[in-house]
Amino acid sequence: MKILIFACKWCGLIGADGAGKKRIQLPPEFRVIAVECAALVEPDAVIRAFASGMTGVAVLGCHLGGCRFNDANHAAIKRLELLKTLLDATGIGGKRLLISFGTAHEGYQYAEVVKTFFEELKTMPSTVAWTASL
Amino acid sequence: MSGIAVFLCRCFGEVNRVIDLDSLQKKAERNNDVVSSAVCESLCLADDIEKTASRIRESGAEKVVIGGCSHLARGGAVVDALVERGIKRSAIGLVDLREACAWIHKDHPEGATEKAWDLISMEIAGLHHRRASDDVTVSVCPEAMIVGAGPAGLSAARTLAQMGFKVHLVERGSNPGGMLNLISHVYPSDEKASEKIKTFVDEVDKNSLINFYPKAKINSITGFAGNFNVQVSSSAGEQRLRVGAVILASGARVWLPHGLYRYGKLKNVITQMELERQFIKGPREVKAAVFIQCVGARNHERPYCATMCCPSSLKNAVRIKEENPDARVFILHRDIMTPGSVLEAYYRNALAKGVQFIRFEETNPPEMLGNERVEGVEVIDSVSGMKRKLECDLVVLSTPLIPNDDNVKLAHMLGLQVDRYGFFSEIYPLHPLETRMDGVFICGSARWPVSSDNAMVQGEGAAAKAAALLGSKAVSALSLSRVPGEKFGHAAVNAEKCTGCGNCVAVCPFAACRLQKMGRKSISRINKLRCKACGNCVSVCPNGTVQLPEQDYRAVAAMIKQAFGEESAL
Repeated sequence: MKILIFACKWCGLIGADGAGKKRIQLPPEFRVIAVECAALVEPDAVIRAFASGMTGVAVLGCHLGGCRFNDANHAAIKRLELLKTLLDATGIGGKRLLISFGTAHEGYQYAEVVKTFFEELKTMPSTVAWTASL
Repeated sequence: MSGIAVFLCRCFGEVNRVIDLDSLQKKAERNNDVVSSAVCESLCLADDIEKTASRIRESGAEKVVIGGCSHLARGGAVVDALVERGIKRSAIGLVDLREACAWIHKDHPEGATEKAWDLISMEIAGLHHRRASDDVTVSVCPEAMIVGAGPAGLSAARTLAQMGFKVHLVERGSNPGGMLNLISHVYPSDEKASEKIKTFVDEVDKNSLINFYPKAKINSITGFAGNFNVQVSSSAGEQRLRVGAVILASGARVWLPHGLYRYGKLKNVITQMELERQFIKGPREVKAAVFIQCVGARNHERPYCATMCCPSSLKNAVRIKEENPDARVFILHRDIMTPGSVLEAYYRNALAKGVQFIRFEETNPPEMLGNERVEGVEVIDSVSGMKRKLECDLVVLSTPLIPNDDNVKLAHMLGLQVDRYGFFSEIYPLHPLETRMDGVFICGSARWPVSSDNAMVQGEGAAAKAAALLGSKAVSALSLSRVPGEKFGHAAVNAEKCTGCGNCVAVCPFAACRLQKMGRKSISRINKLRCKACGNCVSVCPNGTVQLPEQDYRAVAAMIKQAFGEESAL
């Protein structure tokens, strides 16, 4: 299991910090890249992550209307939802990209999002076969 | 490739209880880029920071990776302390080994150690590509434009002029005064609205620092904090203004209750504003009056309380009672909103004067009786549950204030946000008079419905905030951060690669990007002082022309490559 999380500095990362402070136990197979805003997550970067063998990619941003950059996360969510359909078309599966806005700004919420994503990815077919052939 | 120094913090055992820091240090030493590495007891203590800084200097490392606690805990303070000691902020990478690793993976020490090393190598890889945005400093034009000459705008103009700043007061109508020109008396002082506004209007006439533009329309606003360029067409013709700050005091308008309570169909069913207009002409003869509160407010469509309708009804009910001592006056309400000691006393005064209050439920609104002119109101008293028939010859509907239609247009020009109703959004909760765009301030009912008293207070506050900007000689791009803490950076365009597609112009939430003709092609130009580094333009750029130097695509790609050890990379 390899999960990459792009966490917005103002929501996801604060949630990650809160989860740490509450000592909520999580599986260690995920890595977090902090971004200033979820809008900075390029669709290319998500595709690159899947190409490097990630099982899942998550983008955590602030809730719609609560972005520090006016409506930057509205644009981000549209872009990433579109990317999901692209991932479906390529066979990677849109469900491997978790887009979560406004659900990860508290420690327990963040932990819940990460845990559920782990559980969901476990039910999906393994990516080992096709990433090994690359 | 520049050398990197790696410092790992034990945090008094909090980190190394789970993560094997010594093995991490050995791995770091084997890395070709790392010139120095150390494990410390606690990096956040003053002498350890001193030691760390001198070690960095001795080793000749240009960049530093710190493995410790999160930015929110003590990590941010450690970075700040190192910046104070002469290390560039863009050269410091902070890896969260405590909150994001040790504390949440206590049960998996091996996995945690593996993850810790991956996080450190990600940061090392990312640091190679991290650069600092170049700062620009621009002088501030010490003049302000105030949009709207209502109570808020007038008090802001007066305050700024008293401080010695030149003020351009732009007004949609032909006279200053705003909504106070339309009403007879103001609550809670019960003084005449025209008298209350007189000192301010006189100030506009007398003070040479205040330029008044009647019948004005704002055609465009470009620029940034300290240097806004505004095109205004007023009765004096088209003008270009250069101002340092913009104060939005454009107010709000009254909602008209068409279709409710047979308004417009029955005679003598009027709104509060129409009653005010009749009061300006003189006393009004009334036998029995019924005021209905929360008409079109606190419902599904407009769930907010407009705050000024209850006191206005109290004011006018008492006035009717004083002018016609035999008249019966009812206020049908859903709740009487009179917060604060002054307004509560105002409510008690109305009770003492004999105004009767009847509470009704939102689901059972009062009904109008009569054919051509109103003859009575039927209401179910929610306290007793009884149906009551009130005979009357006047029904006054209290309607809320709603945002102006051009708020959205103004917000778009300035890169602001409006809330879901259309009022301008403040920076919630700590900066109530400021907006996300530096140099733009809001006050009065443009921000939220307020009474004239509160609008004047807010106007003074916004003027004080604007004065802090106008009084400074110059602003630098990196100091303009409307979010807490240091500004991350600003996007930069590679002029050679830009194809001028305009994607960035379309998505920028702050209207910081624009296309500029350069010979035969047009290229995108990003205003460093308007840019807030959200990265929207970066994500939509088709060929990676726009980049945030602090975290460009190469840095993210390098970090992804290292995310699960080198072997996972292609």
